[in-house]
Amino acid sequence: MKSNHLRRFGFLLVFAFGILFAAQAQVSADAGKTLFKNYCASCHAKDMKSAATGPALAGAQERWADDEALYNWIRNSQGMIASGNPRAVELWNQYKPTVMTAFPDLTDDEIGSLLAFINGTADGSLGPKKEVGSDISASSTVSKSSSNWLYYLLFAGLAVLAFILARIINSLNKIEALKEGKKYHDKTVMETIFSKGFVSFLVFALVIIGVYFLATNAMHLGRQQGYQPDQPIKFSHATHAGVNKIDCQYCHDGARRSKHSVIPSASTCMNCHRAIKKGSKYGTAEITKIYASIGYNPITNTYIQNYENYPQDSIKAVYSEWISQNYVEDNELAAIDAEGQLFVDNQWSDIVASLTNNVKKQVQGPIEWTRIHNLPDHVYFNHSQHVTVGKLECQTCHGKVEEMEVVEQASPLSMGWCINCHRQTAVQFANNPYYDSYQAFHDEMKAGQIEKVTVADIGGLECQKCHY
Amino acid sequence: MKNNKNIWIGEKDLTQQEEFLNELDQEKSLMNLESTADSLPSMKGNRRDFLKVMGFGIGAATIAAGCDIPVKRAIPYVVKPDTIVPGVANYYASTYVNGGDYCSVLVKTREGRPIKIEGNISSNVTKGGTSARTQASVLSLYDTNRYREPQKSNEGVFGSMTWSELDKMVMDALSSSASIKLLSNTIMSPMTFKAIEDFKAKYPNVELVSYDPVSFHGALTANEKSFGERVMPDYRFDKADYIVSFGADFLGTWLSPIEFAKDYASKRVMKNSKNAKMSRHVQVESHMSMTGSNADNRILVKPSEQGAAIAQLYNSVVGGSAPTSGLNEKAKEALTKVAQQLKQNAGKSIVVSASNNVDEQLMVNAINQALSNYGNTMMMASASLQRTGDDAKLMSLIKEMNAGSVSTLVVLDCNPAYDCAYSSDFVKGLSKVKTKVAVSYSANETSVLCDLVAPKHHYLESWGDAMPKKGSYSLIQPTIAPLFSTRQTEETLLRWAGVDMSSDEQPMYSYLTNNWKNSLFASQSKYLSFDNFINNTLHDGVFMSAPGSELSYSEAGINFSNVTKPANSELEVSFFETIAQGNGEYSNNPWLMEMSDPVARTSWGNYLAIPVHFDGYNKMVGLNDLDDGDLVNITINGKELTVAVVKQFGQMPGTVALALGYGRTEAGDCGTGIGVDVNPFTNQNGNTSYYSADVQLGSSLGKEKHYSCVQYHHTYGVKALDNDGNMVNADEQALGMAYGQAGYQGALTDRSVVYTTNLKDLGEEVEKVQEKRKDAQFLNSKQIYRGFDAKYENGHHWGMHVDLNACIGCGACTVACMAENNVPVVGKKEVSRHHEMAWLRIDRYFYGELENPNTVYHPMMCQHCDNAPCENVCPVNATSHSTEGLNQMTYNRCVGTRYCANNCPYKVRRFNWLDYTTADIFPVNQPTLNGEKTPFGADDLTRMVLNPDVTVRVRGVIEKCSFCVQRLQEGKLTAKKEGRKLRDADVKSACQTACPTGAITFGDFNNKGDVLDTKLQSDLNYIALEEINVRSSVTYTIKVNNRDESITA
Repeated sequence: MKSNHLRRFGFLLVFAFGILFAAQAQVSADAGKTLFKNYCASCHAKDMKSAATGPALAGAQERWADDEALYNWIRNSQGMIASGNPRAVELWNQYKPTVMTAFPDLTDDEIGSLLAFINGTADGSLGPKKEVGSDISASSTVSKSSSNWLYYLLFAGLAVLAFILARIINSLNKIEALKEGKKYHDKTVMETIFSKGFVSFLVFALVIIGVYFLATNAMHLGRQQGYQPDQPIKFSHATHAGVNKIDCQYCHDGARRSKHSVIPSASTCMNCHRAIKKGSKYGTAEITKIYASIGYNPITNTYIQNYENYPQDSIKAVYSEWISQNYVEDNELAAIDAEGQLFVDNQWSDIVASLTNNVKKQVQGPIEWTRIHNLPDHVYFNHSQHVTVGKLECQTCHGKVEEMEVVEQASPLSMGWCINCHRQTAVQFANNPYYDSYQAFHDEMKAGQIEKVTVADIGGLECQKCHY
Repeated sequence: MKNNKNIWIGEKDLTQQEEFLNELDQEKSLMNLESTADSLPSMKGNRRDFLKVMGFGIGAATIAAGCDIPVKRAIPYVVKPDTIVPGVANYYASTYVNGGDYCSVLVKTREGRPIKIEGNISSNVTKGGTSARTQASVLSLYDTNRYREPQKSNEGVFGSMTWSELDKMVMDALSSSASIKLLSNTIMSPMTFKAIEDFKAKYPNVELVSYDPVSFHGALTANEKSFGERVMPDYRFDKADYIVSFGADFLGTWLSPIEFAKDYASKRVMKNSKNAKMSRHVQVESHMSMTGSNADNRILVKPSEQGAAIAQLYNSVVGGSAPTSGLNEKAKEALTKVAQQLKQNAGKSIVVSASNNVDEQLMVNAINQALSNYGNTMMMASASLQRTGDDAKLMSLIKEMNAGSVSTLVVLDCNPAYDCAYSSDFVKGLSKVKTKVAVSYSANETSVLCDLVAPKHHYLESWGDAMPKKGSYSLIQPTIAPLFSTRQTEETLLRWAGVDMSSDEQPMYSYLTNNWKNSLFASQSKYLSFDNFINNTLHDGVFMSAPGSELSYSEAGINFSNVTKPANSELEVSFFETIAQGNGEYSNNPWLMEMSDPVARTSWGNYLAIPVHFDGYNKMVGLNDLDDGDLVNITINGKELTVAVVKQFGQMPGTVALALGYGRTEAGDCGTGIGVDVNPFTNQNGNTSYYSADVQLGSSLGKEKHYSCVQYHHTYGVKALDNDGNMVNADEQALGMAYGQAGYQGALTDRSVVYTTNLKDLGEEVEKVQEKRKDAQFLNSKQIYRGFDAKYENGHHWGMHVDLNACIGCGACTVACMAENNVPVVGKKEVSRHHEMAWLRIDRYFYGELENPNTVYHPMMCQHCDNAPCENVCPVNATSHSTEGLNQMTYNRCVGTRYCANNCPYKVRRFNWLDYTTADIFPVNQPTLNGEKTPFGADDLTRMVLNPDVTVRVRGVIEKCSFCVQRLQEGKLTAKKEGRKLRDADVKSACQTACPTGAITFGDFNNKGDVLDTKLQSDLNYIALEEINVRSSVTYTIKVNNRDESITA
């Protein structure tokens, strides 16, 4: 009987390790996902199939002659180019002058994980849910649940193990008791469940889980990643920055010289919208808001004098006239009809609603945008440091604004996110004599001891760089 | 008695009083908690209350956590001004003027609101220096007590009215008035004079009467007799090797202190000990003034002996027979010696006196003439116009008022019902004036007695100009649009004069520039076009033209019988002006109210300074056995007052002193009812005189409830006697009690806090200090954590140098620090509980003779130790070290254990015991300063003064000097953007830019050859507490005095 128990125990051990081992392979792709997010995602497309700053990564492993060359490439691409590796040179010619960031610290395992993730995502066995094709989405659901299934299996295995161990202890106790000739009472299931040990274990587990969730969720309090509020004007960055390719800093002119990027004033809008009076999408509905804010009469092409004190009725008259003129023109009417009048009235009341609120009763005056990117008061952030000195692209933090019809907060703006970037980003040492004071770093770079100096190296992780 | 051994901070330290040693560090004592529990109703509670509050708290937190994040707005300009970039500060040159106080300034504005005042280095008068008053002036712009619209009195109850109503009423009254009087303090502005001229053109029967809150009538009248003009000389302390001052507090409050401090300090600092030279400064006074505390020798004379003392010097220098009877023998002897030394320094000396007696001032003039100082150290060509008040005119005005012959009185922003010696007569007379109009900034004792109040702009909202000295001009330009429906004085006068200004958007700008076009532009040749001239002058803030001609001295007959005769009374009291309060002009400014007096270190009230004497055993006994904080009745000129006392070293036996400017009855929320008013006692038979010999002092009535003197707060390095009577460190004494072996860390028993020496022993002292430093550095090198210093050689390593020979203790830096870093004001009660929040304090130490000691001012802020003891005791890593050598404080991590404050050897960390910034929602945590309805800072108006780059701290966190990290970051960013190496000039701390004497130098240790590095080459340098190996980043210099030991008085 005893040997029987042991044999069962041994079998279960093997079983449990088997599950653990199976889970191991999965874990490495997960690790790859994190690594990809941290190191690669800023240049390589997440779907692995389209090119971004860097090439699409699907099939990268096949394109390279051997893994060693690929691994070296990832760790130090410039070195590979210099050594004349044909694939490296080919890539360089294709993408220069963009340099692939070197990641000398990545271990073989980490690169392995990365490749596992890349390959997995590319062939669809891992990665985000696709929007098209029901079969693909089904398969990805399966793959997702399969990863969970392994965890459940592991948990179940451990639970069985615990149960068996408990049984063994119980049996041993029983044997002991019988040997000593005492009466032994087998615990019923209910007794076990309500036993002190089990209940306290349960409470303990609940507390741990509760604290875990509390802490994770508390940490996310106040963060607004994905925040995409409606704005008083349906301003489309996709049209302005995407289609018309207006430089971000043309309007957000504070970014290069101030801590604030600055929401442009209505007068900035007027630089273009004196000429462009109707929008491609909304016609007069949105652009008239600028005019009503600043007091520009688009019919006469003049600014209204003493606009701050201009009566609301007169304002209405000016812009209703403008809207109705356009309505008449667009619909090729001779004069405004009843339907048109309704249209004009509705559009004007929309404009009034957008430009006024409980506090601001007048149409004229500043347009009150809804602020999307909010940092807590105890954080000091300076745009010019990042834009002018660090030479970062706006998109690094703000996402692909040029594709956004309605702007949303692309990044979490959490401290971890800031810190992570400060750890990875190289300081723009070249051609800025300011950094001459970091002589030791310059020496080390010259000696080839270090590849780059990160923001963290010059104190970018210290509290009082952002909190004072 | 000579105390050769040591420096001392006060009597409790000197005599090692037990209570003092026990309470050395309030952070350790339970007193705070106990008294908090007593005073806060919320802290008294039972278990059920506790559960209720906790339940509410948890519930509230849950609900709050579940709520949506509030929607925030981003509101851009409609038309963006091209000069404003949100987030970038703009600086505008302007001028701070208040009566006769003058300072050329740069105003820092952010998003169009002034938040900080800096000195203007282009000025040849103030030369980039500022004063505490100047620094605090920006807060008064956001004073909640200021008049917001014109007021009309209905039998003492004021109601608002419109400007057009006011103008009509005033103009009606003016046009039917037979006699119109304008009453003001000193006016320095050519534009104001022009406006008054224009006003006179419309109403010919107008007379302007000016007076000064602290009178200069005697000196001005004497100068009129000697030189034919009512002006003060342009004193050039930078040329004076020998200075004798009879009670003139020229570094703190007298005439032009910012200018004098700069010049004076240039003669006191030295590069190193080789060939060191410095001026000698002798102060003749009874109460230790800030200037007196900086003097090498103080000659003690009673206030009534001042005249005899001047006479003594006059006799010795000029040769004459002025009466000196009654002058104490010691002073007589000392002044004879001083006279000899003065003669050796003829043409290189200055003799000044604050006396308000014409004949005494004539003697001073004669002395200076005999020493040929005029034209050398005292210029009459560029004479000072900062005080021009005329008491005789004021008195005749008051007489006329009482006679009922004044029909309209216009009070131009002055407060004679409080701050002149004849205030009671003035008030009586005022009731007989038919129409009384006050042009006033906020309610004061005078404006509440008037019928109409025309509210006035702050100087930061006005256009204007000033001429502080002949040939020196500066412009005032507005840096913010008027916050309320106010009008600047000149515009008000012009409108009353019927000048039509409706078509002009900026009428005062036009008026000012027209005035300059006709006068100054015509007289200069540098600029060809007027636009060029005025724009450049506006940019620079100042304009210098050729000074006037030198005035010739003519012998004026001195009537010796008018010289004050020494009184034969047992006790005399002197009244003095303080840096923070003036004569009450600054009462409603909380920054100034909380600023501690440099010498007595009291705040929130005027304390009676009483002399101390050694009891021959172990105690310094106060007059009448009074102790610090004792309330006492003092009878002056037959009137009884109750005041609290402070024991004052250096106060002459047989004299006491009390500050002017307190006890105001109408000063707004902060100033009303603080301290006692002594102005009524300054009227001596029709002459304004700042002392009284008719004084009786009672004995203690018990303690003042909240004794707000900070002298014994946050002390460090203090020594104590061990059981055997040997000197040990006080902290170690406590250790010794615990471990039974006092002083076991031998190196610590003789701590380096302050080193002082006489100039003649400088070489010796430097050697001694260097030896000691070497010892300390050797010990420090024997540590287990070696090799960390090299870390700081890469990149920046911030450091500071404080020249104690330049520091005069004026406190401009402490107020600047409050303005720059949003440091809260806590109020009298909190100060009395050691809770003052100032990041930068100026420790005051005495040394030398007990009866007549010398003083050291020791600015103490976070030393940013590279081996900081505070950092490694923080359980949450809220304070940590940066690679640039900064000791960083992260408020959001701080949980308020205060371990760091306990472990700080310099005692520079401050804890937010209550919600001083009024940031949270529980009013019970928000202390009021003076019982005001809305706690100071809780309204949006006051909050406009906050620096947006600095976090406002909440209750329960520690804060301390950050080396102005926001300025460092800004300076670094500027250098990065411009693509060049950082210079020390890019990074200046707020205290450094505020300092009128340049005592503070900030910079990068690694910038070899730059300003800081140069200062560090001096052999006078030492580091406070170097031997405890905390590796402080602040270097001080040995304090050197030039005391003549043979002068004993």
